[in-house]
Order: sequence, then structure tokens, then C-alpha cells
Amino acid sequence: MKITKQDRIGIVLFLAPALLLILVFFIVPILSVGVTSFFKWNGITAPEFSGWQNYAKIFSDKVFWRSARNNLIWVAGACLVQVPLALIMAMVLSTKPRGWKIFRTVYFLPQVISGIAIAMLWSAVYNSEFGLLNGLLKLVGLGDSTRNWLGDPKTAFPCVLVYGLFYIGYFMVILMAGISDIDESYYEAATIDGASRLQMEWHITIPLIRYSIMTCVTLAAVYALRTFEQLYLLTNGGPANRTSVLVLYLYNQMRNNNYGGANASSMMLILTGTLVIIVVRRLFAEKRR
Amino acid sequence: MEGIVKGKAGNSASGVLCLILKWVIILLFAVYTLFPLLWLLITSLKTNAEYFNNPFSFPAVPQFQNYINAFSQANLGQMIWNSVTVAVIATAANVFVAAMASYAISRFDFKGKEIFFAIFSAGVMVPLNALMVPYFTIFSRIGLLDSMNALRILYTAIGLPIAVIIIRGFMDSLPREIEEAAYIDGCGFFGRFFQIILPLSKTGLITAATFQFITCWNEFVYANLLTSSPQNKTIQIGIRYFTNQFTTDYVSMYAAIIIAIVPSVLGYAFFQKQIISGMTSGAVKG
Repeated sequence: MKITKQDRIGIVLFLAPALLLILVFFIVPILSVGVTSFFKWNGITAPEFSGWQNYAKIFSDKVFWRSARNNLIWVAGACLVQVPLALIMAMVLSTKPRGWKIFRTVYFLPQVISGIAIAMLWSAVYNSEFGLLNGLLKLVGLGDSTRNWLGDPKTAFPCVLVYGLFYIGYFMVILMAGISDIDESYYEAATIDGASRLQMEWHITIPLIRYSIMTCVTLAAVYALRTFEQLYLLTNGGPANRTSVLVLYLYNQMRNNNYGGANASSMMLILTGTLVIIVVRRLFAEKRR
Repeated sequence: MEGIVKGKAGNSASGVLCLILKWVIILLFAVYTLFPLLWLLITSLKTNAEYFNNPFSFPAVPQFQNYINAFSQANLGQMIWNSVTVAVIATAANVFVAAMASYAISRFDFKGKEIFFAIFSAGVMVPLNALMVPYFTIFSRIGLLDSMNALRILYTAIGLPIAVIIIRGFMDSLPREIEEAAYIDGCGFFGRFFQIILPLSKTGLITAATFQFITCWNEFVYANLLTSSPQNKTIQIGIRYFTNQFTTDYVSMYAAIIIAIVPSVLGYAFFQKQIISGMTSGAVKG
């Protein structure tokens, strides 16, 4: 089938709308964030070039470093706890135990509920007076351990971070798709050689779904970096900025009409994200050899 | 593989232990996901007094009044309607634009088509929340701040990368011979798109649409940033209202959370296959 003149016109016409939207909402915004991070800008008057000043300011701000640290803890938690748990469950459910489809449905459920509704649910769990968690503690005789989970500087950040780590459905489904593509003859051969179940998972499953694991780790890191809703709702960064993250930090700067500073923070977020993706790809590429 | 594993597990003592451990973790994760939801559902049907008295009791009489309270106090009906119109329009526009681009890339060999695909799909990895300032500036420049059109346009755009990945992947799986007969019969570029490729891509389009709809329905960050007046609020903004208002009326607040969750759960019940395949096919290419 030859490309006719009409086809050529059609291709241009059909690519144009998508290209326009991507240009306006992805490419130009990213470039503008980069450029205006070097300007003093309040969103009202004209931006004024100020060199590295915005960066110098955020780098000397304790809240920025606290937020960055929290984001990195979040990335680590997602990559080192959530993804491995998802991997274990993917292996378990791939053996197709009775009712595995129902469990898959259940594990995946939190993924379709909005982050804000899930956060509201957990605010009810952590509620200081009549929440589920304090209620459970009292029920088992640990009434002394009850506390205002989200108001206590010691527990606030762990509480906001931890609940999402055990929602493993999304990564589990990606990994299960990877496992279902593995040729069964590998396992048959290994069984004949007398390999144990664990050995098979370690030496056959994991290496063969390496690419799916990489995808999960990358996504986990990207999601961890763009965390916002649950903190905005549950703690708004408090108490004493203990639970701030970069997106919340830049949101607050924007609120204070410091657009230049907000964009410098955005740049740090975009650069960290890019760096993390490159590092993850490197890590998994090395193992390939 | 199943047979082998089962056979092994059935024999030894360690096999039995393995089996028990397996079921313990399977059930633990299920309880973790479902228990808070069920607890919330039950609590939302109690009176405040019952709840304060014992957070784990069942309601003596189910208090459906809590749901009526939640609905009327926050004007949830209007917000649900807003969410529906935004999500429907943004999904239709998104899938149509993505289908056009996918058709051009998937069905024709022209120079640089993979570059176009890379430009379209790379957006999956962009931390969108970092673009608050530019999005806010764009919509204030074109005078669309605090309007639902801003959300419709933005959602159409930010869902494009994943939609193109899903739809192109599907169109690639259709054999080229399909169009050849039509081509010989003189069916042109547009005719082949509307009469052949689009109908045949139905599965792919539904997958992309389901995914996009859920994303739009659940979106909070930009709905919060770009709209402010009550008549422009979506349901996700609406449920946040309760955190500020009902500091003592817990049961109505819990009812509101359930109201916000129910549509997603129902959608999931009906479109589970599409949702799961949409979310994973997007991930595989990323």
C-alpha cells in the first residue's frame, strides 16, 4: 500500500491535535519551569532575571531539605518495601491458589479509588478520639499506646507514608503479567533437576521478569516523588513541617506568590525524577550481563 | 507449573507449613484492604452516640439519614454532576485525539514516526505535579481559571501519553491486509479510519477510555488548583469539604467518604478487565 498525497495530508492533520496538546501541556511547561526558575517572579508583575538566587534561597531553607528528605524516604519505601511485597504476592498468586482472581480484584481495589478518598479513609483510621487504630489498641489492652497519630511529630510522617505501601495491587498485576509470559518448560526442567520452589523463583522467575520489576521500581519512584494529596489532606505538612514533601513545598511557595522559587523547586523535582529513572535503568541493565 | 507445585507442597511437613504461610499472607493483605473500608461503611450507618460509645459495634438501626445529611450539606449532587461532565468530555476528546494520532503512527510508514511516538509517550514519566505554576499561568492567561473547561482541556492533554500507548499498541495488532481491500476499492485515508480501523479498535478504545475516565474522576490536584467557586467543584474537592465542616458529626463525614468511593468501586466491578489491562499496558511501555 503506497502512501498517497491524501494520506500525507491526513497524517499531518491527524498528528496535529495530539502534537499541539503535548506541546502546550508538556514541552512548553517544562521549558518554562526551567527558564523561570532563574527569575524573580510573583505571578503578577513581569519576571525579573535573578540568576541562581531562587536556588540559593531554597537550598538554605530547612523546610526544603526536610521535604526532599521525606521524598527520598518515600522513594526508598516504595522501591524497597512496596515493590518487593508486590513481587512476593505476584509469585504467590501466580501459583493460582483457590480464589486467586478474587484476591487479585481485592488487592487492586485501592488503585481505582481516588487518593483523596483513601486519605480520608485513613484519617478516620488515625483519628485521635474514635479512630479505628486507637479503638483496636484499646480492644487488645494497649490503651496506653493510643495517641493523636497525625498530630504527634514522632508518628505523623510514618503514618502518612506507611498505609499506601501495603496497597500492592498495581505492581502485583504488572508483575503477574510478566510471570504469566514465562515458558513453563523452564520450571519443568528445574523440577527434574530437583530444584526447590524458592530456588526456582530466585533463579528463574526473578531474572526472567527483570524488565517488569524495573518498570515497577521506576513507577514506584515516580509516584513517590509526586506525592501530594494525602499530605495536603491529612497533615498539610505539619506538625512543624515534619511531613512536608517537595510538591507540597512548591505548592505553598506558589500560594505565597513566589513563582520563581516554586519553579526552582519544580526543577529539583524534575531533575531528581530524571536521575532516579536513569539510575534504575542502569542498575537493571548491569544485571542483564 | 501448578501441578508440580501442588504435588510438592502436598508431601512434606515443610510443604504444609509453606501452604499455611501462603494463606496467611494472602488473607492478611485482603483484610488490610477490606477491613478499613467495611469498618467505615458500617460506622457510616451508626449514630454519633453509638460510634463514640463503641467504634466496633453494629448500628442498632441503620442510619441512612447520615447519607441524606452528607448529600444536602455539601451539595454533593452538583459536584457529582460536575465530575461526570468533566470526565465524559475529557475522555471522549482524549480518546478521539489519541486514536487519530495512533492511526497515523500505526498504519503508515513515514519518516520519523517513532520520534512522534516517543514525544507522545514520554509524558508518562513526567511528574505532572511539578507543573502547577505553568498550568496555572496558562489558564489564567487564556481566562479559563475557575472554569470546568480548564479541567476538560487539561485532562484531555495529560491523559494523552497513556492513551496513545494503549491505542497504538492495539492498532499495531490489526493485520495490514484489512485495509488493503478497502484501499483497492478506492477508500481514502479518512474512510479507512472511520469505517475500518476505528470500529475494529473498539477493545483498545474502551480500555483507554475506561482508564482515562477513572483518572479524570479521581483527579484532585488540578481540580483543587484551577477551580475555586462552589458551582465548579468536582466530587473529589467536595469530600474534602467535610474535613473542615463536620468536626463533630463523624458519621455524616464517613457517609460522604463512602459516597465518593462508591462510583469508583461500581465502575471497577463492571470494567475490571479493561481497567487492569489499561493500567498494565500503559506500564509495560513506560
